[in-house]
Amino acid sequence: MTGAGAVAALAAAGGFGIAGGGRYAQAALGATAFALLLLVVALVLRAPVLVPWAVIATAAGYLAVRVGHDSVDGWAAVVGVLLLLAAELAAWSIDADPRIRAERALVVRRTLTLAGLCAAALVANFLLLATTALTASAGALLALLGTTAAVVAVAVVLRLSRRVTA
Amino acid sequence: MRPYATAKLGGYAALAAVGLLASLVLSRPELVALTAPFLLALAAGLALATPPRLAVAAAVDAERVLEGDEVTARVLLDAATPIDRVDVYLRLPPGMESLSATNPVSLRLRTGERRELAVRVRARRWGAHVLGPAYARVSDPFGFLRWETVAETRPQVRAYPREDALRRILQPWETQVFTGNEVARRKGEGIEFADVRAWAPGDPVRRVNWRASARRGELLVNESHPERNTDVILFVDSFAEARQEGASTLDLAVRATAALADAYIGRRDRVGLVGFGGILRWLVPGGGTVQLYRIVDALLDTEIVLSYYWKEIDVIPRRTLPPNALVLGLSPLLDGRSIGALLDLRARKFDVAVVDVSPLPFTRRPADPVDAVAYDIWALRRDALRHRLQRAGIAVAEWRAGEPLQLVLEEVRSFRRHARLARAS
Repeated sequence: MTGAGAVAALAAAGGFGIAGGGRYAQAALGATAFALLLLVVALVLRAPVLVPWAVIATAAGYLAVRVGHDSVDGWAAVVGVLLLLAAELAAWSIDADPRIRAERALVVRRTLTLAGLCAAALVANFLLLATTALTASAGALLALLGTTAAVVAVAVVLRLSRRVTA
Repeated sequence: MRPYATAKLGGYAALAAVGLLASLVLSRPELVALTAPFLLALAAGLALATPPRLAVAAAVDAERVLEGDEVTARVLLDAATPIDRVDVYLRLPPGMESLSATNPVSLRLRTGERRELAVRVRARRWGAHVLGPAYARVSDPFGFLRWETVAETRPQVRAYPREDALRRILQPWETQVFTGNEVARRKGEGIEFADVRAWAPGDPVRRVNWRASARRGELLVNESHPERNTDVILFVDSFAEARQEGASTLDLAVRATAALADAYIGRRDRVGLVGFGGILRWLVPGGGTVQLYRIVDALLDTEIVLSYYWKEIDVIPRRTLPPNALVLGLSPLLDGRSIGALLDLRARKFDVAVVDVSPLPFTRRPADPVDAVAYDIWALRRDALRHRLQRAGIAVAEWRAGEPLQLVLEEVRSFRRHARLARAS
């Protein structure tokens, strides 16, 4: 069920790109199809390394449609969350072993955790995109914001991982 | 508990890095929106991941069971920190099978929570089964990091073979000096009537056969056979076995040995054990319940150990083979060393009988004609081997899986009776 959910979420994320139309709609369709194929292979072969590639392919399809558009697409927030949902459900499906019986409370908690994460990601994305839309000159400021975010993110990740392994 | 990163952690980190760099290069804020959820998941997952402190132990309710019986194994979990998800698995040896759906199981533990997981297991085969280890794998809430630990305790379950009830067993040719249930051939103080003879001074009055005395006109007294015990050596061949789908000739031999030991000891005979194989095991003959437990315990450790070392009967300690003992061999007659040892024992005037635990039910006649001919030749050579043993004076009977042991013992008895008659004539 989680595997089917992952495929559905990825297809929905790809659908946003295809629905955008434009010159590269066919490219988006091809990228989404390729991503779905990768995801199915990853689920069948239980190969988690293929999941990020499926996400990248879908994101590439979405970006291809956005080429030539100067405005920021507000639906990107939803697409990002759908990609996360697809990756999480795929990881759950690959991780799930039919021989291991999971307690009901554990499944409920994991579902709630995933729902909470998606909701938080959606709120964060909307805030991020709202900030970008308010900015008058998107180019330089966006680059600065992106760089700062990247550096801070990497620092936070490193800091947290050091605390965990200590 | 040392942590290790899962493939998911690497994948999310790579996605976040690639997405953020691409957003800088392409100046597309949408890319940040596509990447941010993964970065958020990473940050949240690593922030929430705390090194777990979990103690795992394993135990069983009963350490001694009969083959086929069920026993409850318990995995005890003691969490000193919150555990979002722990997968617990109690590994079972080949001779045990799980009857519970809760092995393996995933569960969640709160701080200070103690859980006891009960796993119903069944001893499918006799033997000394060591359960475990019990593995525990802890994951953080988002599955980025994992920790693994193993229970320090590994409980043992000794599954004793189920014994057939034997109504009659093989009687040795010779008896020993101690009192038992076997009627000796010589005459003496006993219950079993043997003969009448003329009264002699010193004979007690209660032994006078008044009816015969009245008929013959002289005093006659009854003579009787004394009841004596016997020495029996159970010789288990563990050089080779034929095995198919969890059953083997060794399994049959061990079950039969346990049943025979029980039957002989019940008759107050002294029983010894020789496990003749890659590892030589022996027990000096003895009687009583303690000896029965010793024999069964020794049988549990019997296993096939591959060995090319040529062993002869000289390697068996002399005290293990007392004179006039019945040596009862249980062998699939697959290894020349055990066959040679049995012939050697017979040549040394031991009373030897062999139950041939047939490997044929554990094999299949090949479909290929050439292979089928080879199979038939092998089966014929086994027949020839049995005849060779019989010519040496060893009673042999073939025992196939599914047949009652009593039937085979009766066949051996019949051979021994006829062999004695032939010798007398």
